[in-house]
Parts: sequence; C-alpha cells; structure tokens
Amino acid sequence: MLNKVLLITIVSISSSLFSALKASEKIETINILMPAPFADSTKGLIKKFNDIKKGEVKVRVTRGPRETESVSDLAISSLILNKSPYDIILIDVTWLPKYAAAGWLEPFQNSFINRSWGLLAKGAQIGNKYKGKIYRWPLVADMGLLYWRKDLMKQAPTSPKELIDISLDLKTKKLVEYGFVWQGKQYEGLSCFFIEILEGFGGEWIGKNSEISLHKNNSIEAVMWMNELIKSGASPKAVTTFTETESLQVFESGKAAFMRNWPYAWAELQKSNLRDKVGVTTMVATKHGKSTSTQGSWGFSVIRGSKRKNQSFQLIEYLTSADSQKELFINYGYTPTMKSVLNNKELINSYPIIQTLNEALDKSITRPVVPYYAQLSDILQRSLSTVLTKETNIKSTMKEATRKMNNVISSYGYKE
Amino acid sequence: MNILLLLPSLIIIILTFFIPIFRYTWLSFHSSSVITRLNEIPNNGANWFRLFEDNRFWQDAFQTIRFSSISVGLELVLGIVIAIVLNKELKNRGLIRTLSLLPWALPTTVMALGWRWIFNSPYGFIERFLIYFTKDPINILGEPSITWLATVVGDVWKTTPFIALILLAGMQSIPYNLYEAFDLEGGKPFKALFKITLPLIEPYLIISILFRTAQAFGVFDLIQVMTGGGPAGSTESLGVYAYLNAMRFLDFGYSSTIMIATFIILIIYSITITLALKYLIKTLSLI
Repeated sequence: MLNKVLLITIVSISSSLFSALKASEKIETINILMPAPFADSTKGLIKKFNDIKKGEVKVRVTRGPRETESVSDLAISSLILNKSPYDIILIDVTWLPKYAAAGWLEPFQNSFINRSWGLLAKGAQIGNKYKGKIYRWPLVADMGLLYWRKDLMKQAPTSPKELIDISLDLKTKKLVEYGFVWQGKQYEGLSCFFIEILEGFGGEWIGKNSEISLHKNNSIEAVMWMNELIKSGASPKAVTTFTETESLQVFESGKAAFMRNWPYAWAELQKSNLRDKVGVTTMVATKHGKSTSTQGSWGFSVIRGSKRKNQSFQLIEYLTSADSQKELFINYGYTPTMKSVLNNKELINSYPIIQTLNEALDKSITRPVVPYYAQLSDILQRSLSTVLTKETNIKSTMKEATRKMNNVISSYGYKE
Repeated sequence: MNILLLLPSLIIIILTFFIPIFRYTWLSFHSSSVITRLNEIPNNGANWFRLFEDNRFWQDAFQTIRFSSISVGLELVLGIVIAIVLNKELKNRGLIRTLSLLPWALPTTVMALGWRWIFNSPYGFIERFLIYFTKDPINILGEPSITWLATVVGDVWKTTPFIALILLAGMQSIPYNLYEAFDLEGGKPFKALFKITLPLIEPYLIISILFRTAQAFGVFDLIQVMTGGGPAGSTESLGVYAYLNAMRFLDFGYSSTIMIATFIILIIYSITITLALKYLIKTLSLI
C-alpha cells in the first residue's frame, strides 16, 4: 500500500514537473534595453503586456544608465559581439544611421508599417529611416523649445534681435539676473541648440549635393549671434558650461527670462513656483529663416539576429499604441507621436500644452541622417565651443570646421 | 619545476597584457569601422599616416603630458609631506591614516561630479568665494586656459593619498637610528630629508610615480564627467579621444592606433621621468 502511494506521488510530481518544464519552454522571453527613466516609466505598461501574454511571452527589461551616451556605450558593447542579448533597444534619434549602417538593426515588417505608419504625426515620422527603410519606431517625440516668462513680458519674442533686447531690458530693470539660458557646453546639446539658430538665420548644416554649408554667410551670422548673446550680456558667461540640468536650474529659480530646453522641463516647471508663469514656443528666427525645433526623440529598434522578432514587433506596437501614449503623456509628460492622441479634444482640454507641442513637432527637423553624424557633431561642438570661449575669428573657425567635416565625408567615400 | 611555479602568473600576464597589446597593434594596421561594416581590412598603415598628420592627436598628447606631469608632480610633493606627518607619533594615528585615504576610496565618477559642482558657475563654492576678489565670475570650467587646472585639482585631491600610503610604507622601513646618528653628527633636521629619507625611499618614489603616471596617462572618467573634453577641446586627453573614436565614431582601427601610440609615448615618458627623478634625488642629497 505504502509503495503504491509512493509510486503515485512520484509519478504525479514528475508529470507536473514535466508539464511545467514544457510550459516554460514555450514561454519566450523578450529582452529589452532602455535608459533608466524609460524603464521606470514603462513599468506599468510592460506589466500589462506580460499579463495579456501570460504563458506565451515574458518581457524582461534591462534598466540601462541614465545618461544618453552611457546607454549607447552599453548598447554598442553588446552589439559589437554580434550576439546581442537584447531583442529590442530603445535608441536615440542620432544613433539610428550608425547602427543601421553597421548592420545591427532589423527593418520593420511591411504589415506593421502599413498598419501604423500613417497614424504617426508628420514630425514623428522623421528620424526613423535609413536608406529608405524603417528601422525605428518612435516611443516619444522630443523637440527643442523656447521657454519664456509670461509674467515679465506680454508675448514671446519671435526674432533674434527681440530676444536680446528683451533680455537686456529685463536685466537693466533688475527683474532677472540673466536673460537667456541654453546649452553651451561642448557636448551634443550644443549642436541641438545650434541647429535651431542656424535654421532661424536661414543657414543649413548640410546643403544640396551633401556639401557642408557652415562657412556660408547665413551660417556665420547664426554663430555670430550666439556669440553676441554672451558678449552683450543677454546670456551669462557661464552658459558655456551649461547642459540641460544647469539651464533648468537657473530658470526654475526665477533668475532667467528665457530658456532653451526639451519638453521634460515643462513637467518639471509644473512642480515649481513658476507653474503659471511660463509660456512655451519654438526658437526665434529672422525673416530669412524659419522657426524650428531640433528633434530628439527615442524609439524602439529590433536587433538583427533576434530569435523573437514577431513577438518583439507585437510588444513595440503595444508600447507605442494610442492608449499607451496617453498614459505616458498624463503620467510622465512624454510627447505623443500619434496624430489621434495629439489632436484628442479631451486631452487638449485638460492639457492645453499639447497643442504647443504639436505645433513644435510639426516644425521639428532632424539632425543629419548619416552614419558619421557623431564625427560631424563632434567637430561642430569643438568649433562652437572655441568661438564661445575664446577670442577667435569666427569666419575662419567655421571655414576650418567645414573643411574637417568635408574630410570626414570624403573618407566615407560616399555622400547621402 | 621552477618555471612551472611561474606559470599561473605568466598566463595571467599573457592574457591581460600581451594579448590585448598584440591585438590592438594588429588592429592599428587595419580599417575597422562603419565603412567596412566592422570587418577588419588591412590598410597598409593608413591609420598611422593619419595619426602623424592629426593635429588633434598631438594637441591631446600635449594636454595628456601636461596633465600627467603637473598632477603627478604635485601629488608627489604633497604625498611626501603627508607621509612625513603620518609617520610621526601622533594621537589617533590609525584614525588619521584611515581618514586620509578616503578620497582615494571614492569612485572617480562620483568625486568628479562633486568637483564639477564645486567649480560650477554661478552656484559653485569656488566661484562664490572668488567673486569677492574678482567682481566678475571667472567661469572656471568655461575658460580654455584654466579649465585643465581644475581637472588637475580633482586628480590631485583623489590620488595624493595613494602616493602618501606607498611613501609611508617606505619611510617606515628606514631604521630610526640613522636619524639619531645624523643628529649626533650635528646634521640639521631639514637636511635629513634630502640625505636620508629621500634616497632611502627612492624605490618607493619610483614605483608610485610609475603607477600614477600610467594612470594619469589613461585619464578618462575624470575628464569625461568634469568637462567632457571641453571647453574648445582644451581638456581632452588621449584616453577620451580613443574612446570617442571607438564608441562614438565606431572607428576601431583608428582608436587602436591612438591607444598603441599612447602606450609608446607613455613608455618614453616613464623612462625619462624615472631617470630625471633619480638624478634629482642624487643632486639634492649632495647639497
């Protein structure tokens, strides 16, 4: 009798173990790498997806570093091996051409594109393609904005001259300590700000025939104006060491009249004393140029060689759906990428800022979509930093930068 | 049999030292970048020709040597002073020794962030203090001619304890009766430093200088966090440049070339500085 009981127990335990093992074999794990803030904000959505797909798919999120470039280092270190542990990586808009050219990314499936591409706002569509193929799907739109103090002026300046005049006027009246704060440190943020000024003055970075145009008159004027901001006192000298953090810190303390920053700053300012005193618009421009904002979005890319492509695309579709975007906007201030969400009446009624964001997104432009973008931007940052911190001849500095950039392009042997 | 006993350490040295150096040297004669889809294609030394014409490399080499020599020099002087103090019979000597080691125990990234805020303009402590004397803010981290000195301060603060610790070990190995004899013969206490202490801790001095120079030459995290190589590229070290080429530009061939060139410069520099130090100690002891 005892033997029988023992036998039945063993058989039942081993069979249940076996079936559990079989079930776990079936469950596919999707590994996804995201910068820490995104990993935190999508936690709820991922949990919901895991619940929906219970028994089929499980998503495992790697919470990467906070800083953009550190995430890139981690991603690249894994991709170089050609056996990346990740199925999906959330990537910055400037990494895409480099990653795609290195052959690390999987193009999006036609069925997915046919279903969803048309739902994206025009501004959100840019920065996802390389050589005609779509390699990235935007999770959040991000673009440079000009923040201004509604309590200190009636309306935001639209021309570069106005911006300097108002800044100096408010400074003389001792209403603010500094006029305009922006990102002047030698790093990627400086390139982002410069593109907005460049477009505002009617200049361009890469012109027709893929030639660098930073030595042309409009571009030189743009650089001169940036220099003038500091020389005239409209911006503090220390702005040459500022990143987004320092800019926001100064603006949040009420010491500045204007700030150039990303939409996240809006959510931060809502927690401060300036809550009702801040307006948002896009960058100033002259008559020859146009007011634009630099695109800084994040999006999902599927890694080539992933064994769970279909499931990965499903996950991306879920995380970027209209409902998910609404949730991310309300809870974390993430700018939506879908037309339906950006034009949602209910949402606009409760959050009027969404209209401004929509307009800015419409005016947004992408940084040059070339695999050697990092080299070009590096040369630009060094040259601008030289102009802003040293007494140099602006014309010859930009001419030299143009020459170096053209060298980079020709070393690649092809133009895009 | 004797050789067998050496084997474990030999294997470690080959794995961690010779293989990487061989691999980078080999890679420095190849193109390996986005253009080649990261395949390694021989390029007849094109990387090396490019290096010789690359002004930025030589500017960074100058900056790296300037940074290393000034910070290691300052660390050595301060390290000697601190080691002498810690070598004295003090109350709570153990506690003081432990405390003096703290900066060295901090992760570089954390302490570099700390220094970035200390030098921050307009909120940083140093700018706030200097404003009493200068009227206008100096903007230390945004002034190409002086920003590198701020990175030297950060480095000296962090690594002086390391040198002090090694030198302290050296000083404790000096028999005290040497000083007594020197005193009996009518020698001045000050001169004992040059005639007894320094010559006897020479091996320790050389070891600490070699360690520190090698580290300072490869400085990366401190610069990356404090200044990111700016302003105007003035604080960029060879380590930062090699990193940029590999991780941002995905040009592994050229990055390897920079690393091997740095290695060669480091060897020449280390030999020179060791000989100079030996000469200096000898000259001082003859005064």
